[in-house]
Amino acid sequence: MRRHEVVVVGAGLAGQRAALAAVQAGREVAIVSKLHPLRSHSGAAQGGINAAIGKDDSIDAHTYDTVKGSDYLGDQDAIEFFCREAGPIVLEMEHFGTIFTRAPDGTLAQRPFGGAGFPRTVYAADRTGLALLQALWERLGTERFTLYDEWDLTTVVVRDGRVQGIIAFDRKTGEFEEIAAKSVVLATGPAGRIYGRTTNAHSCTGDGPAVAYDAGVLLKDMEFVQFHPTALLETSILITEGARGEGGILKNAQGERFMSRYAPRVLELASRDVVSRAIVTEVLEGRGFAGPYGSYVHLELMHLGKEKIESRLQEICDYARHFAGIDPVTQPIPIYPAQHYMMGGIGTNIQGQTSVAGLFAAGEAACVSLHGANRLGGNSLMETLVFGKQAGISAAEYAAKAPAPVLHATDLAAAADPLRAWSSRKDGEDPSALRLEMQQTMDRYVGIFRNEADLLEGLKRIRAIKARFDRVRVVDQSRVYNLNLEEAIEVGHMLDLAEVIIVGAYARTESRGAHSRTDFPKRDDARWMKHTMAAKGPEGPRLSYSPVTYTRWEPKERVY
Amino acid sequence: MSAPPPTVKVPFSIYRYEPGRDRSPRYQEYTLDLAPHTPLLTALLRIRAEIDPTLSIRYSCRSAICGSCAMQVNSKSRLACETPVGPELEKHGRIVVEPMRNQPVVRDLVVDQSPFWTQYTKVEPHLKLDPRRPMPEGAPNPMTPAEVERFYETPRCIACAACFSACPAVEVDPEFPGPMALAKLYRYTVDPRDQAHQERLLRIQPGGLWLCLRCHLCTESCPKDVRPSERIRDLKEMAIAVQGATEQGSRHAFYFKENLKDGGLLNEMKLARQTYGLFGLVKELPQGVRIMRKKPEMRKKPHPIEGADEVRKIYDALDAKEAPK
Repeated sequence: MRRHEVVVVGAGLAGQRAALAAVQAGREVAIVSKLHPLRSHSGAAQGGINAAIGKDDSIDAHTYDTVKGSDYLGDQDAIEFFCREAGPIVLEMEHFGTIFTRAPDGTLAQRPFGGAGFPRTVYAADRTGLALLQALWERLGTERFTLYDEWDLTTVVVRDGRVQGIIAFDRKTGEFEEIAAKSVVLATGPAGRIYGRTTNAHSCTGDGPAVAYDAGVLLKDMEFVQFHPTALLETSILITEGARGEGGILKNAQGERFMSRYAPRVLELASRDVVSRAIVTEVLEGRGFAGPYGSYVHLELMHLGKEKIESRLQEICDYARHFAGIDPVTQPIPIYPAQHYMMGGIGTNIQGQTSVAGLFAAGEAACVSLHGANRLGGNSLMETLVFGKQAGISAAEYAAKAPAPVLHATDLAAAADPLRAWSSRKDGEDPSALRLEMQQTMDRYVGIFRNEADLLEGLKRIRAIKARFDRVRVVDQSRVYNLNLEEAIEVGHMLDLAEVIIVGAYARTESRGAHSRTDFPKRDDARWMKHTMAAKGPEGPRLSYSPVTYTRWEPKERVY
Repeated sequence: MSAPPPTVKVPFSIYRYEPGRDRSPRYQEYTLDLAPHTPLLTALLRIRAEIDPTLSIRYSCRSAICGSCAMQVNSKSRLACETPVGPELEKHGRIVVEPMRNQPVVRDLVVDQSPFWTQYTKVEPHLKLDPRRPMPEGAPNPMTPAEVERFYETPRCIACAACFSACPAVEVDPEFPGPMALAKLYRYTVDPRDQAHQERLLRIQPGGLWLCLRCHLCTESCPKDVRPSERIRDLKEMAIAVQGATEQGSRHAFYFKENLKDGGLLNEMKLARQTYGLFGLVKELPQGVRIMRKKPEMRKKPHPIEGADEVRKIYDALDAKEAPK
């Protein structure tokens, strides 16, 4: 058994920032990650990171935009805290060595983003996540901590009402191991691979939320799933919102700049849920293009000119050229919305505390709730750092006072044996086939527009796949780098989360932010101004609700 | 939806090996029907899903940003996710996929990257500050767009190690930092916030910087156009500017140029003496004798070539152009 004071699971921006905070608080820290930290999905974030540091901008304006963007489901105390911290955090990242794009006067350049009243998004060309990830990892590298990279989380051990450690699987040796910890931070990132059409990396399988849910921790607002408006057609590779921030426009097959019908004032820079619905509506009403990879609309950048496109949007230029065979300098880019972000996650407060003592969460795996029903572009990178730091501070404080964790010999066997048993089956279900069916189900029945019949059908199908998962079979018999075992573990995680998403979406009979019910098209503040909390029960998720925190902003109709 | 795009039969030959379990590596053949623009990673994932779930690969983002899936594709270091199968098939008739080089195989196409990460860590990839010169309080360090340009494309590096796999100097000398680590060193050595530029340049010279063979395979293999070999060249120039030509490697580079400037032709005897010094030359004597035997033309006394004046003029013009820096 291994022992550490603070264990951080996940080594993207949130996990790394948590680890840095815990080390700086004097605690002994280990990071457990399924990827080498520099390969984390944070590095794929393109457009930028929001901080109201511009001359005419204000923390209040950032707060208001975020509250409005959340469709009034975000907790306003958390949003206020977040917007206050954003400025110092961006400066800190600059001091750590991040190479940001600069304005001619040497200050940090800022670009406009969707749903924001000011150009508020600090950026590093269109690879802001990569720039931040490098700088933070290289800064963290000057501190002492233990790294377990390419380890997969399978269990959070909770006993006597508090966390005792985790069980994880070392991909290089095939061993399941216990890691005792006084406190644990879950910062495992996205869960987008529940869907087939997703911008997320293959590794984004919601391990943290799934494992926490299994340990009795409450998940929050899981039905709120963001679809990014502009993903490449066949591969769903992300084309940053920065492309529209820099002046890119959307056109349908009739050559019409259709956003004028949906957001007459800000057009393409409306918030993401609005733009995604507009694109799908255009296609459903027959104004999209058709091709071998489905229907689509055009994102045009040509009018920006070669120089601007190739300097400010260098990576996406490569993406369009390599992955779609399109040169954005001379051709429109075929795009369609794809799953991009989970607003929901492990429920936490501002300090990163979950419903279990000693267990903290941050980043996309968590739900504070900052983003409410819809996240604004540029707020998630900042969230990882602001709340990663908070979770690290809290975990360190908790660990300083917590008694030594107790793991029993039976904990490991209870967690690992059932998973090992998958390999001894002579016959059973193929995990990658189950994953494909789950993804197709979620794409078809739990997408941008939802209704009761679809959600019920989706639930029925997901539960049928879950039943088959009980007979999952791992064919690969090797202990070393056994991806077959890993994918079985991941599918198990994702099926649990898929069920929570659907049950929450079915119950919520209103439309708010990214959750659009065609059978309940209006926001219903009287009944639904509340957070969905999901706990694992014997028959599936048990839902309860908790109030939204208000400070200064009364709910209003949301118009862009 | 309109008709799916036409497909072609693509034969793959894929390296399979699990040290400790398999006696030796073998190549396994698979054939898939694929549209020519299909990325190799997609093909490998299809092999895993449809034919053989025991094939091990390292992958994550599928969009050339996480740096996980570098491998040898028809003997070149490439990212599988951004290598379409069509052109490979056209050029080679099939697609041979092998793990990266210069890192031990863990299983199949997965390598142990610790040699790569060790070199990366050794160049101290973080800002080194002087406590007497603190960062501006409550403000970012000013940095002009021109200063940002001096990083060239080094911030685009995704640490995929394709360059490390391609580098022959890494292969012969495991102490050589390799292209990525040196490009990273360059990135910190031009960072106006870093306060250890000189120290970095002095530290990297013995056994580091000058082992680069200038073959440019790193630049050729880099999926992000980081151009490590060009940045290594820049580091060499900066190193000479800081320290003069005092290292064996820098002396060789410096006198190489002086030699050419002199007579338009390399005087290898003179260059060897200048590089190693008289005492050093004694140590290299056996090697020198061997070379003399094999290459009798080296025994001839060199004389200026025709047009040596022109060569000198070119150098003078270049020197004049660089002088203001």
